[in-house]
Amino acid sequence: MKKYLYKISLLLLLTVTISSCTEQYVFQNTDFESALVVEGTITNELKNQTIRLSQVYQLEESGPRLEKGANVFVTDDKGNEYQFEEKDTIYSSITPFRAEPGRKYQLRIKTKEGKNYTSDEQVLTTETKIENVTATAENVNGERGVQINVNSFDPTNTSKYYRYEYTETYKIVAPVWSSQETVIVSFPAIPPDPDQDFPGSPAGEDILVRLRNRETRTCFSTKKSNDIILNNTNSLSEDRVHFPVRFISNQNYIISHRYSIFVRQYVQNLAAYTYYKTLKDLSSSGGVLSPKQPGFFYGNIKSVENPSEKVIGFFEVSSVSSERIFFNYADLFPKEPLPPYYESDCVVKDFADCEGLPPCARNQLRGAIKSKELVFVSTDYNGNYGMVKPACGDCTSFSSNIVPPFWVD
Amino acid sequence: MKKITLILFLFSFQQIIYSQVISDKITVEFKNANIKTAIQDIEKVSYYKFYFDEKWFENDSVSITKQYKEVKIGEVLEDVFQNTSFNFYISENKVIVTNNSIIYSQLPDDYFGVPLERDENGQITTPIFYQQYDSIKKTNSRNPNKNIRDLVLIGKEVKNQKKKSTYTLSGFIRGGKNNSALANVVVKIPNSEFSAVTDKKGFYSLQVPGGLNVVETESFSYNKVTKNIMVYNDGALNLSLTDNINQLDEVLIKTNKSKSAKSAITGVTTIDSEGIKNVPLVLGERDILKVALTMPGIKTAGEGSAGFNVRGGKEDQNLFLLDHATLYNPSHFFGFFTALNPYTTKKVDIYKGSIPAEFGGRLSSVFDISSKSGNVNEFQGEGGIGPVTSNLMVSTPIVKGKSSLVAGGRATYSDYILKSLDDENLKNSQASFYDLILKYNHKINANNDIESTLYYSHDKFSVSSDSLYKYSNRLATLKWNHTFNEKNKGSLIVTNSEYKFNIDYQSEGVNNFDFGYKIDETQAMLKMNYLYSNKHKFSYGLSTKLYTVDPGYLSPKNPQSTLIPIDVETEKGLESAAYIGDNFKISDKFLLDFGLRYSTFAALGKSTQRIYEENQPISDATVTETKTYGNNEVIKRYGGLEPRLAARYFLTDDFSVRASYDKTYQYIHLLSNNTTQSPTDIWKLSDLNVKPESAQQVSLGFYKNLKGGDIELSLEGYYKRSKNILDYKVGAELLLNENIETELLQGEGKAYGVEVLLKKQVGKLNGWLGYTYSRSLIKLDSQFQQEKVNDGKYFASNFDKPHDFSAVLNYRITKRYSFSSNFIYQTGRPITYPIGRYDYGNEQYTVYSDRNKFRIPDYFRLDIGLNIEGNHKIKKLAHSFWNISVYNVLGRNNPYSVFFVTDKGQIKAYKTSIFSIPIPSITYNFKF
Repeated sequence: MKKYLYKISLLLLLTVTISSCTEQYVFQNTDFESALVVEGTITNELKNQTIRLSQVYQLEESGPRLEKGANVFVTDDKGNEYQFEEKDTIYSSITPFRAEPGRKYQLRIKTKEGKNYTSDEQVLTTETKIENVTATAENVNGERGVQINVNSFDPTNTSKYYRYEYTETYKIVAPVWSSQETVIVSFPAIPPDPDQDFPGSPAGEDILVRLRNRETRTCFSTKKSNDIILNNTNSLSEDRVHFPVRFISNQNYIISHRYSIFVRQYVQNLAAYTYYKTLKDLSSSGGVLSPKQPGFFYGNIKSVENPSEKVIGFFEVSSVSSERIFFNYADLFPKEPLPPYYESDCVVKDFADCEGLPPCARNQLRGAIKSKELVFVSTDYNGNYGMVKPACGDCTSFSSNIVPPFWVD
Repeated sequence: MKKITLILFLFSFQQIIYSQVISDKITVEFKNANIKTAIQDIEKVSYYKFYFDEKWFENDSVSITKQYKEVKIGEVLEDVFQNTSFNFYISENKVIVTNNSIIYSQLPDDYFGVPLERDENGQITTPIFYQQYDSIKKTNSRNPNKNIRDLVLIGKEVKNQKKKSTYTLSGFIRGGKNNSALANVVVKIPNSEFSAVTDKKGFYSLQVPGGLNVVETESFSYNKVTKNIMVYNDGALNLSLTDNINQLDEVLIKTNKSKSAKSAITGVTTIDSEGIKNVPLVLGERDILKVALTMPGIKTAGEGSAGFNVRGGKEDQNLFLLDHATLYNPSHFFGFFTALNPYTTKKVDIYKGSIPAEFGGRLSSVFDISSKSGNVNEFQGEGGIGPVTSNLMVSTPIVKGKSSLVAGGRATYSDYILKSLDDENLKNSQASFYDLILKYNHKINANNDIESTLYYSHDKFSVSSDSLYKYSNRLATLKWNHTFNEKNKGSLIVTNSEYKFNIDYQSEGVNNFDFGYKIDETQAMLKMNYLYSNKHKFSYGLSTKLYTVDPGYLSPKNPQSTLIPIDVETEKGLESAAYIGDNFKISDKFLLDFGLRYSTFAALGKSTQRIYEENQPISDATVTETKTYGNNEVIKRYGGLEPRLAARYFLTDDFSVRASYDKTYQYIHLLSNNTTQSPTDIWKLSDLNVKPESAQQVSLGFYKNLKGGDIELSLEGYYKRSKNILDYKVGAELLLNENIETELLQGEGKAYGVEVLLKKQVGKLNGWLGYTYSRSLIKLDSQFQQEKVNDGKYFASNFDKPHDFSAVLNYRITKRYSFSSNFIYQTGRPITYPIGRYDYGNEQYTVYSDRNKFRIPDYFRLDIGLNIEGNHKIKKLAHSFWNISVYNVLGRNNPYSVFFVTDKGQIKAYKTSIFSIPIPSITYNFKF
């Protein structure tokens, strides 16, 4: 944003000194009004379906205000009623159920305060399965990397709108790893023993090098997509999806070894798609010279008592299909160097564990070991230690050493 | 006195006597004789001796070829002096030639106090005597400023003629360095109703009472000339005005005084290009439309915004005409500059109140911009060198005295400067624009002339390294003016305009594309004027306009591209109108200007149009049928009557009241989901699902002249309702949308306001102060929640700025130096603020307030300027003029926009200002 403006002003100003500036602006927010936020997607998977209820919170607040103690249930046009119960931060159906095609579902909420809300009736969208998910090495916008595409096809030509979520899991191998680690051990003062002619020694501490007792070399990180990822096949002659759901640069460490992505494809109806699209469009920033017109927009949930009350959120009944793939860096980029590691500075630094002037650095070294600012790589057992940043020698410093249950090497 | 009578009497007596002695019949032959040679010929063949002033015949254009045999001298001389202003008096063998006046041989009956002889109309039929001269001399000796040494005699006095109440004084006004024809010079008799304005050829025709009159001229750029005239009959008075370039007189922006004095229309403002040179402006650009923004009722959403909001109307509701052709985008570079060469632009008439019936097609206003006609006698030019752009205008005769060509060009050197920069990022940036104009006019004969304008403007810029934006305006006009007779005049006008833009996306990947949009309109217009009588002046005409819109194409540049080529179907429409207007002068005090316009629009095929379920929101899901229309098949016809009424009444000589009502239709809409107009906004024609917009406005105004007309005070109020105003659903996608109606909302608008303007046009300190209180509201209501905005209630539009004050003042220090300043204050414009946050999915989102519930901080700005004229030597290569100005002297950090960014779950508000520190600039202007 700033760069953009800077350029414009420069274009304008040229020889004259003119500054245009963008600065943070403090505005008075005296008109806070709360509103119920409903987030619910019922799918065609047999499971405990979930609904999330919260309240709008003030800009200065840090977290959500959960809507507690509400009575939540979903009904269908066959007279079934699925009751939900409060579980931590969500409401979960007491019995597992799945959305059936052709039935009309409606969400009903009664808050603690006794206010009633209902959603529009929703019908399960066309069940279109993901055919496959592919990962190919490609150049995209001048950048080389892995393009992950979702392919699906609806021969009935009725699934037009798609929303995606993905969860990616990747293996991390610490590059400067040692099977040993250092800890600081302290020993008590030994009183002098004149009998033994022992003068006694004061309490002190020392560096202990020992074998690691847990996995710190190979880790697995898992991340969920945050963005709203949408696609539509409106402009296509048939519902054939070939959608780039994720692109990872070959400079991104997450694909260095083995990578897995789990893609969920939700088929949406137009109203749900429009809602998500509006949400997405509004959260991205517009250009300086062409800002977006923000505004409040309604979903499909209304207050029974006061139809003009602002309620946020969309209740959708969506068919979902999912697919997981794995790939290795070496398969896609054979004989190419690995991407830079998570931590770029993995240079081993030497410290001498002695008192006095440099190169002695006992306090610095021991302090770093205590605070885990540095991890051990090597020693000459003569008071000299090679140390690196924790991320380089211990992947658990930023990841997890638990192998996910689905992981296949 | 008695003696003179007697002598005169004797003279005439003698004539009778002598006629018997000397023959009064002569035989003479004239061959291409002019008056002087005719006189000499007569003198040769007879005893007659002529007495006259040789100077009178210097510009004599008489040419007589005739033979006379034994014809009375009187008859011969009648022939010679026919169609001239000369009279003669024969006494014995002496012929006394007089200019204008008659030598009377008898005194009028009332000379000794006898009641005046009157004709049936009560008009005095007595001749005019020099006696009246004496009285003027006396009056003027008390008023030494008025120079009456040169009394001009008008018309030929005819013996015993029935006196008319008024005579026609006509002539040409020329002036300036090249003595070219001056248009829009007011010729008037001060403190009276008699006034006229010169046309393009400098011709005026003024009704004046007989006898002694004082006539003066009034013009923005030329010195005032005052003439004392003695009117005997219809006659000519040609005047030559001197350029006041060296005077730095006034900031001359005026609600055209002659118009304000004469017409009945409310809310008209004329800005003369020449007159605005002293107003300080950003980067020293003399900009006629920027000055318009200091007038009440004309606003813009912010600095760097291309559109204008006139009396609470949207940006697309203004019709910009350049020499009668529509100019779709009158701005360069996001509106920082106006796409009009200041040196070829003559003036702009802005109609914001009652729009004359000849104009139509937009709801809020007409900006009727006219460019200068060239000098048919001499080569001349004008130019300016500023920090960002340079301008040049040259005018040259093609056929001397008949036709001329004006060429104007303007360009920015920013691109060159950017390229020479070291910064890699900036080196690849582009920002350049230019505009060119050619105007040709040709006078075929007294009754026919043609003029033609060609105009092109081009902008190119890139704001990110991968996309290059281009847009251009192109227009061409051809106009034929024909005078059928004294009472009937007409013009046939053909115009063509095109606006297009293009985005060239060029990155290293395969998905490069070329995106474009184009609108083209061709128009034919017939405008007729019929001067039925002094009381009725009719104007009528026809016009028809064909639109072709190419709403957008996207073509991938690489065959491997994953992009799908899109070509949205062409839109076509025919807009036609017929109008008639009458300027009806009921009495000297009461003037009625009423017009009726009927406009019609036909959306034409070929096209496919969707039909949506009734009583359902328009969306992809509610389509019931898709209809296909063949080429030029009428899809839908809209139309309506547009009455335009205006009335003026003089309560006292210098205090008038005016009222007006008008209705307008608009069949073309600008789609822009930005707060401000941008070059990539697209124009859309009305069709099956997009209805035309309409508006009705009533206004009432009071106009008062103070201090003998030096100060003008006006107060105008208006109330406007509009229908089917376009707005958009939140997050609407407008570009390349085949079914744009699914993103649109059409609502009702309401605007009202009071505008006060105080102007002083003369004196060392001159300028104007304007204040407006106005509101502009919009209502988007529907039975469906998703089509409602702010619960279906009226809310402030994006450009609703209730308080608006502007002061433009100029102080002349000496003849060469003057100081000028602008001050502007405006209420901040409305904005939608985030009021809270919520979690959805794995992200945090923002809840926004009702639309436009809050306002950004108020806007104010002070600019100052110093204008220095070059030296006052008469003979030098070029007249020069320096303008040094500082924009935003107070360094006020006026917010251009306030926007919010969701960044790592934090919502941050940012305020952007374009010019947050004082900006000095210096411009050199020259004229040769």
